[in-house]
Amino acid sequence: MGTVVTIDVYTAGGAPGADFDARMAAAVARLHEADAVFSTWDPASPVSRLRRGEIDLAGCPPEVARVLDACAAARDRTDGWFDPWAMPGGVDPTGYVKGWAAQRALAEFAASGASGVLVNAAGDIASAGLLPSGEPFRIGIADPFAPQRLAAIVRLTGTIATSGTYERGPHLIDPRTGEPGTRAASATVTGPDLGLADALATALAVAGETGLDLLGRFDGYQGLVIGHDRSRAWTEHFPFAPRGG
Amino acid sequence: MKRAPLVLTGTVAGLAGVLSFHSSPAKVTLGAAGPAATGTSASSPAASGSSGSSSSGSGSSGKASSGSGKASSGSSSAGSSGSSSGPAASGTRSAVGPSVNYYFGVLSVRVTATGSKITKVSIASINDGGMPRSQYIDQQAIPMLEQEVMQAQNGNIQGVAGASYTSAGFAKSLQGALKSLGLK
Repeated sequence: MGTVVTIDVYTAGGAPGADFDARMAAAVARLHEADAVFSTWDPASPVSRLRRGEIDLAGCPPEVARVLDACAAARDRTDGWFDPWAMPGGVDPTGYVKGWAAQRALAEFAASGASGVLVNAAGDIASAGLLPSGEPFRIGIADPFAPQRLAAIVRLTGTIATSGTYERGPHLIDPRTGEPGTRAASATVTGPDLGLADALATALAVAGETGLDLLGRFDGYQGLVIGHDRSRAWTEHFPFAPRGG
Repeated sequence: MKRAPLVLTGTVAGLAGVLSFHSSPAKVTLGAAGPAATGTSASSPAASGSSGSSSSGSGSSGKASSGSGKASSGSSSAGSSGSSSGPAASGTRSAVGPSVNYYFGVLSVRVTATGSKITKVSIASINDGGMPRSQYIDQQAIPMLEQEVMQAQNGNIQGVAGASYTSAGFAKSLQGALKSLGLK
């Protein structure tokens, strides 16, 4: 997959619990599994074989069907702005899988005794808990016009995903045209589940500011869209960190 | 809160992981480099995450696997990243990790540490072949990669959303540099 996943475990003091090693190993294993099954660059992965029509869904591990079901639901509920079936080369659930895999890795730390855990899958972040100080995690959002700077800081509860063109040039595909194209420079979505947040951020990056209205259909999800003209629009409860806090 | 960050670095097969544990006493553990590590995420569709997967970039994703495997500079086996060792040496010192292949060429990473705290991460050398597109991506990406490592030790924020260009090659050279510094 060629992506870097950062797992940060915060404890109030001292070493984490005795089962920390096992939890970390399990979290890493979840990421391995997701890569082995869903990699679209590994020609031998089940999803690559599915894309080529060599096997059908029944021939894939069961999580493929679950992921594609979730993708189909996200496609329908975003009016097609997120659509893994509109990607060149066949169905590509990557826009959901990265967040989904990080969310599964995070789950390995449930009730671990840590004050908080962050799983950062190359800029899409799943979190649980708080800093040892009792404060929520603070997460910066990369500025699409100056990647070394931050466009905003959020107080994170749950997950955050950002999608945009600045990472590698204009690679997002507009499902409605099948061509590369976005109506926003970047889109960020916060919410309880990183797989869905990832999919929604992709949808909003393509749909642009008007796509924010879609988020009303998803309980607990908020969005921030930064336009190509550097304009900003966000949903009412987007969790901006208070100034100075 | 005072933190003495501990950086656990683990490279997963096909995924590179930089795992951090924030507590005290500080200690740093290196995990493993898996055999299936890729080049960079530049045009690897699986790595592009929410960016979809048009491959309008130069080259094909197949090229991304070149140089993998032998670039391994880490230690033990995948999944062992939770294991630990004693406190790291003190004093300020730096080390350069091995030159590793990445999608556009070859790079190496320099790490400077004081005690067990990483104070700087930078690119020690890079040869991207001079292609305009790879240079564009490197200019965009390298600061992010440096930033990504430093974020674990930034007291104001705990991460950056959207800084997603990441490189297994970068992580591997980083691992080697950390190991050289005894941050293992």
